[in-house]
Amino acid sequence: MAQQTKIVSSSTAEYFAKNLQQVGFSSPTKAVLTTLKEAVDNSLDACEMAGILPELTIEIKKIGTGSQKNTDLIEISVEDNGPGLEAEDLAKVFGEYLASSKFGRGQCSRGQQGIGISAATTWAQLTNAKGVVVTSKTKRMRKAVQGLVNVDIKGNKGMFLNKKSIDWDKEHGLKVEFKIDGRIQLNGDGGLLTYLEGTTLLNPHVKFNYKLMDNPWVKIDRVSKDVPSIPPPTDPHPHTMKLGEFMTHAHIYGNMKVGKWLKTSFSRVSENVIKNFVKNGLEKKYLNQTLQKLSDEEFKKAYTAIQKTDLMSPSTKSVLTVGEESLAKSIRRMGEVDFFSVITRKPKICDFKPVVVEVAIARFLDRGGEHDDPVRLLRFANRVPLQFDKGNCAITKSIESVNWRSYGLSQPKNSLPRGPYIFAVSVVSPFIKFKNASKETIDASDELVEELRRALMQAGQNLSRHIKREARAADVERKKQHIEKFGPILVDTLARIVKAPEKRRKKAQDGLHKILGRDTKAEEQKLEVAEQRLMDLKAKRSHVLETNEEGEGASQEAPVTEVKAKKKKTATKKQAAKKKAKTASKKKATKKKTATKKKASKKKTATKKKASKKQATKKKTKAKKATKKKTKRTR
Amino acid sequence: MKKARLNQADISKKSKLLCERMLADLEQAKRPVLEAVKCSLDNSFYKPSVGYLTPGDKRVRTELNVSSVQKLSRTVFMLEILLRNLGTGQVNTKRELYYISKGMVKHNKELKVLDFDEQTESDAIIDFISDMLEVYREELNCFANDRGGQTYSKQLIVEETLPNGKTATIDLSTLGTSPFQPKNKPQNLKLRKRGKIDFVLIVESEGTANTLVANGFTDRNKCIVIGAQGVPSNAVRGWARTIQNQLDVPMYFFGDLDAYTLQNIYRTLKAGSAASLIRNSEFSAPSVRFLGVLPEDVQQYDLHYYNVTEKDASELRSIKKAQDALKNDPFFQDKKNKKIAAILKWLVKEKKRCEQQAFWMVNPKDPVTPEKIILDKIKKGAWV
Repeated sequence: MAQQTKIVSSSTAEYFAKNLQQVGFSSPTKAVLTTLKEAVDNSLDACEMAGILPELTIEIKKIGTGSQKNTDLIEISVEDNGPGLEAEDLAKVFGEYLASSKFGRGQCSRGQQGIGISAATTWAQLTNAKGVVVTSKTKRMRKAVQGLVNVDIKGNKGMFLNKKSIDWDKEHGLKVEFKIDGRIQLNGDGGLLTYLEGTTLLNPHVKFNYKLMDNPWVKIDRVSKDVPSIPPPTDPHPHTMKLGEFMTHAHIYGNMKVGKWLKTSFSRVSENVIKNFVKNGLEKKYLNQTLQKLSDEEFKKAYTAIQKTDLMSPSTKSVLTVGEESLAKSIRRMGEVDFFSVITRKPKICDFKPVVVEVAIARFLDRGGEHDDPVRLLRFANRVPLQFDKGNCAITKSIESVNWRSYGLSQPKNSLPRGPYIFAVSVVSPFIKFKNASKETIDASDELVEELRRALMQAGQNLSRHIKREARAADVERKKQHIEKFGPILVDTLARIVKAPEKRRKKAQDGLHKILGRDTKAEEQKLEVAEQRLMDLKAKRSHVLETNEEGEGASQEAPVTEVKAKKKKTATKKQAAKKKAKTASKKKATKKKTATKKKASKKKTATKKKASKKQATKKKTKAKKATKKKTKRTR
Repeated sequence: MKKARLNQADISKKSKLLCERMLADLEQAKRPVLEAVKCSLDNSFYKPSVGYLTPGDKRVRTELNVSSVQKLSRTVFMLEILLRNLGTGQVNTKRELYYISKGMVKHNKELKVLDFDEQTESDAIIDFISDMLEVYREELNCFANDRGGQTYSKQLIVEETLPNGKTATIDLSTLGTSPFQPKNKPQNLKLRKRGKIDFVLIVESEGTANTLVANGFTDRNKCIVIGAQGVPSNAVRGWARTIQNQLDVPMYFFGDLDAYTLQNIYRTLKAGSAASLIRNSEFSAPSVRFLGVLPEDVQQYDLHYYNVTEKDASELRSIKKAQDALKNDPFFQDKKNKKIAAILKWLVKEKKRCEQQAFWMVNPKDPVTPEKIILDKIKKGAWV
C-alpha cells in the first residue's frame, strides 16, 4: 500500500531562510552588500518619513574568520539620526517577515514588502548564530534601548533578547550591528564603494560618514537641505486591479452604496464615468445597493463593465523626483566634473503605473575609464542602486538601443557606448516591476524602455553639443597646423613643376598665407564664440549652485537649461499677453459678471465636497480599523 | 561625340598648364580650384546608341581652403611623380607609386605630413588626378596588376608594337594550352584572324574557360574563348573592346545566374562602370550578349540552384544592391535592356541563384555536353 504523504505548512520565515539567495544573499560578497543596503534603505526611509535630514555613520570591518569555507567574519554597523523605534516594534521590524509600514501603500519608498532587513537578520543568525544588535532611542525615551533581535524561523516571529537600557548621547536614532559571514568587495559593479557612491549621488540631502575596512573615515556633506517629501499614495485606479483586489477593496467600505464607493474610493472615476460603466454593462440598480449585498457574481459583472470602459490614465502625483538641480549638485560630490548633463523627465504613465525617469551623464577629470572602455553605468530604482544582473535590466537595454554615435560617442553594435563617462539612470515609481525579489533588475516593458530612451536621448543631445565644441577646438588647431605644414609644400611643388623663379614662389607663398589666414581667423572667431558661450553656461550654472548652497533662505533657481527655457517661455508669454491684452479688456467686462456667479457656485460645491470627503475619510478609517480587528481575530 | 585621346606629351602639357594656373592664382591671393568629372551613378547616363555609361555635367570642385590644403598638396606631390614617369617612360603600379611616395617622404622630413597611411589614400589621389585631367590611369603610366583576360583561339593573331619600335607577333594557335593574356593597354594591339571566327565567348570563371579549352572547345569551333576571372578588370574590358572594334564578331558572355554577376560583372563588361565614366568609351564592349545561365535554362536542363538566404550577408547585400540598381542604374532602366532587367527582377523576387558549372550536371558522363548546350544556345539565339 502506498504510504500517504503528510502535507505540512511552513512559515514565511522558514521559506526565506531556505531561499535567501532569492533576496540577495546568494554569495558571501553579495551578503555583505545586501545587508548594508537593507540597513541604509531602512534608515533613509525612516528619516524621510519623519521629515529628518538623514545623517548616517557606517562602519564595515573584518573581525575574524567566518564559519563557512572561504569567508570572513564581517561586522557591519549602520547608525542613523532617524526617529528611532519603540522597543516593542524592534522584534517585529528586524525579526519578522512581511511586517512593514510600507507594504502595498503605493508610495515611492525604498523598502516595500518588509523582507530585506529580516533576511539580513536571518543570514547573521544562520552564519554566526546571532541576529542583529539594535540600539534605538525615540524622542520620548530618556535612555536608549538595546538588545539582540533573532528570528524565530518556525513561527515567523522576532525575538528581542538581552534587553537593556543604555545612555546614548543622541536625541533620537537607531543603530544596527550585524556580524555575518561574508567577503568584502569595495570596487566594481557589486562593490560597497559603488553602492555608497550611487546612494550619495541620488540622495543629495544625506550626510555620510563611512569607514570601510582599514581605509580612513570618509565624510560626505549634504548639498541639499530639503528632505524629499514622499508624495502620499493616490486612490487606486480600477484598471490596475485584479478582480480579487477589487472585491477586497470593497470589503473595507462595508455598508457604502456601490455608486458612492466607485466615485470616492477610486481615482479617475466621476459621475460621467459611472454613466459610461452603465453603458458598458453595469446594471443601474447595483449603484444604489450596498456593497455587502452584492454577490460575487455581481461583483464580477461590475468589474468586467469597468474594465471595458475607457478611463483617464492614473495620476502621476504619487511619484518623487530628485530634480535636475539637486542631481547637478550631487554629481559634484563625486569628484571634479569636466562635463555633466542632467535630465528629469515629467512623470509619465507606463504600463498603467506612474514613473519618473532621471538621467545624469558626467565626465570627471580624475576618474572614469579609458576611451575604449564602456561607460560606467549606475542604475537606480526608487533611489536605490542596482548592482547586479546589468544585462537584463530595462535601463541597460534602453541605453544599448540608443544610437550614441550620432551624439559623438563610439558604440559597438547593440552595446553600451564607450568613453570616460558615467551614466546614472534612475527610475522612480510606487510600483516598479522588478524581475526578482532581490530587486536587482527592472523588467523591460516597451513603454518603460521608450520613456527611458527619450530621457537618454535628451541627455545625449546635451552631450553632443559639448563634444562638438571640443571637436571644433581640435579642428581649428588641426587647420592651423595644416597651413604651417602643407602650405610651403604646395607652393614649392607647383613652382618646381612649372619651373617658376624664386620671386614667384615667394609671392605665391604670401598669397597662400593670406587665403588660409582668413580661413583660420574665421574659424578662431567661431571657436571664441563657442568658448564664450561655454564659459557663460558654466558661470551661470556655478552661480545657481553657489546661491543655493549659501543657505536655506536662498531662492530655488532652476539649472541653466531650465532658466533658459523659462526665459524663453516668459518672453513668449509676454508677447502673447500683449496681444491678448487688447482683446481681453473687451471681454473682461462681460466675463466679470459671469465669473462672480461661477465663483459663488464653485464655493458652494467646494464646501459640499470637503464635507463629503471628510465623511468618506472618517468612514474609511473606521472601515480599516474594523478590518484590522477582523484580521487579528482570524490570526 | 567621342573625345580624341590625348597623347602623353599633351598630358604633360595640360598638367603643367594646370599647375601654372594654380600658382598664378596663389600669387594674386585667389583660391585655386581643381575640377574633375563626378564619377558616380547619379552622374551616369546611358544611351543604347552609344552603348556605355557616359558622364553628365556634374563636376567635383576642390577649392583651396584650410580643409582642402592637405588634399591639394598631396595631389601636386603625386602629379610631380607621375609627370616624372611620363618624362622617362617609366611605368608603375598603384602599389609601387604608394611606396615611391613613402620613400620620398622618408628622405625628406618636410614632406612627412604628406605620408599616406594606407594605399587607399594614394589610390584616391591618383584617381582624382586621372579624373581631373580626363585621362586613363594607364595613360599616366600607372598600371594595375594584370588580372583576367586569358585568351584561347586557333584563329587569332596579335601584333604588339613594342616601346623600341619593333613589332611582336603572337599567333595564339601556337601557344598550345597556354593562354594569351592582354596587357592593361590593349588598345595598342593589332588583331588579325586566320580564316573566319564565328563567335567570342567570355566566360565568367577562368577555370571553366580553361576546362572548355582543355576538352577541345577551340579545336572544334572557330572562336575566341576568354576567361574574365570575376569582375572584369580594365585589361579584360579594354581587350573585349579591342576585339569588338577590330574583328566585328558576335560576342557572348557565359556566367552565373545571380544578381552579382548581372549587375557587377556583365553590366561592367557591356557598359563600363560609374566609377570609371571617363574611360568607359574604350573599356566596355557594348556588343556583348548574355548567353546564360538564363532562368529558362534552369527549367529546361533541370539545373541545380540555390536559394538565397538572408543569413548570408554577402548574398543579401548583392540582392539589396540589385534592388537599388533596378531603381537608379540607367543601364537597367533603359528600354533596350529590359530583358536583362527582367532577369534581375526575377532573381530579386525568387531569391535563387544558379552557377555556370551546373551545365556539367546535365550529362555527367559526357564532358562535351556543356559545349553542346552553349553551341545550341548560340544557334537558337537563346541569349539576352
